[in-house]
Amino acid sequence: MTVEERVKKVLIENALKDVDPKELNQESLLLDYGVGLDSVATLELVVALEEEFKIRIDENDITPETLETIESISRHITQLI
Amino acid sequence: MITVRELFLSSISEFPDSVAVVEEGQKVSFKELGSKVDALSSYFYSNGIKKGDTVVILLPNSVEFVVAFFALANIGAISVPVNTAYKKEEIKYYVNHSLAKLVLTEEKLESVAQEVVSGTDTLVAVIKGGSSEWDTEGLDTKCLQEVLIDPGDEVIYLYSTGSTGKPKRVSRTHHNLVALADNHTQTVGWTEKDKVLFTVPLSHTYAFGNFISSVKIGASIFVMGDFNRNLVLNILEAESITVFPAVPVMLDVLAKTYLSEPKDLSSLKLVISAGAPLSEKTFHSFYDKYGIYPRQLYGSSETGVISINLGEDIVGTCNSVGRPVKNVVVKIFDEHRKELGTDEVGEIVVKSLSMTTTGYFGLPEETKEVFKDGYYFTGDLGRIDQEGFIYIVGRKKLFINISGNKVDPVEVENALLEHKKVKEAVVLGIVDDQGLERVKAVIVPDGQIQKKDILEYCRDRIAEFKIPRDIEFRDELPRSPTGKVLREELK
Repeated sequence: MTVEERVKKVLIENALKDVDPKELNQESLLLDYGVGLDSVATLELVVALEEEFKIRIDENDITPETLETIESISRHITQLI
Repeated sequence: MITVRELFLSSISEFPDSVAVVEEGQKVSFKELGSKVDALSSYFYSNGIKKGDTVVILLPNSVEFVVAFFALANIGAISVPVNTAYKKEEIKYYVNHSLAKLVLTEEKLESVAQEVVSGTDTLVAVIKGGSSEWDTEGLDTKCLQEVLIDPGDEVIYLYSTGSTGKPKRVSRTHHNLVALADNHTQTVGWTEKDKVLFTVPLSHTYAFGNFISSVKIGASIFVMGDFNRNLVLNILEAESITVFPAVPVMLDVLAKTYLSEPKDLSSLKLVISAGAPLSEKTFHSFYDKYGIYPRQLYGSSETGVISINLGEDIVGTCNSVGRPVKNVVVKIFDEHRKELGTDEVGEIVVKSLSMTTTGYFGLPEETKEVFKDGYYFTGDLGRIDQEGFIYIVGRKKLFINISGNKVDPVEVENALLEHKKVKEAVVLGIVDDQGLERVKAVIVPDGQIQKKDILEYCRDRIAEFKIPRDIEFRDELPRSPTGKVLREELK
């Protein structure tokens, strides 16, 4: 699986459980689905990404821009791998 | 009984050079804290804040929060701590409802505070960041000796969430807070050597109870404005923190946090979990990672700390909130106010010297309903086993518990109904597969509207933890023959 596919999987399994995976593409605006709206949910997503990629992510580095799309999250992850 | 001022002065005289508060490495001794408190008290006094006046503290966990609370208590004024996560309209409610004369805040929130008080006589003072006109030596503190404070005087207003659409004001006296600190510290056995890390907001009744207890015993408190996992872990390890009050979601996140190297948290002797139920999964996974079991605490804005699980068999009793703290009586009553026996499930009722004696301000009916015969009827359902351990099994109240933050569904419904394309709205709590509660909204739209429109609308109006995560649109709401919305069918 590519980084983007794995990010999508984490999103579907955590923050976007009620969303049809087919609805989401790399450029979908995640804020429209509530991602990044709530700091606790964001933290849970960050922890799930850490678990998936076995990396350490500093939540202070996570900006609204980082969480904008699957592509932007993947870009951030790729820098840390 | 003594006042909060006397409690504070006693810690200064007993531990003058010990570290009282630490924020981002800046250490303030009790003696230094006393000077800061005197300076701010004097500033208040010379600016017309007097005994009995109310002052909103809109500050994150910080040295300034601590100074503000004791400075107000010093002159007999009443603190109203308000969560900095709240939005303008929410803050406005607390300011207006408490008739605050002043809002104390930080530079970052000054513009919000100014908008909140716009058109009123309430003033704003920035005491964190920006100018510090109060933090100067040479202020006249003689005036403080003239202020006579009785232990029965009010010292803090806390707000309790129910399902009435607006938070209810609970007044606590100096006597109540000193009793709380006595009950709690004598039960947990803290000493002046303890170091307590506060990342739970001090404006929250749970953190506040632990905070006043820490100061009373002369412990050092470490304050953090935001919860940052890696920073929390670094402070716990580097500062050899001994007590860590947390909410379950923090413990869950810490247990799942990826560590590139193990953390030595062997100094920790008490990890407290409160605000929401702690799942067995988190209880065990936190232990597996850090070698210490979290212990559940139970309390409320109305009573302060009620119980804590200090049982020896913590694994066997991990779902219990423990036994009542010293001088607190807990019973289980049925709906006819008859006391129930061992393991029988009923409403948890509490009697304590630390609980409010005046009930909810301006709400005689609600007060009469829950304060009866000297007991506070918590609205929580539970049982007490033969060893005296309390187990909470449900609740009668309608509120939603989001990681320790209580959300009144009616308040969120009212916010949603202000949207011109929302015809009807019902807000309820649902439990996800992690066992955590989430806010769900079921909306009957009036025209074309999408989830993102609702989210965007809510973002500017209500605190983020109140924003519905799940939004469902329906053509109509399910109703009983009498027209009552069938909420259970919407879960």
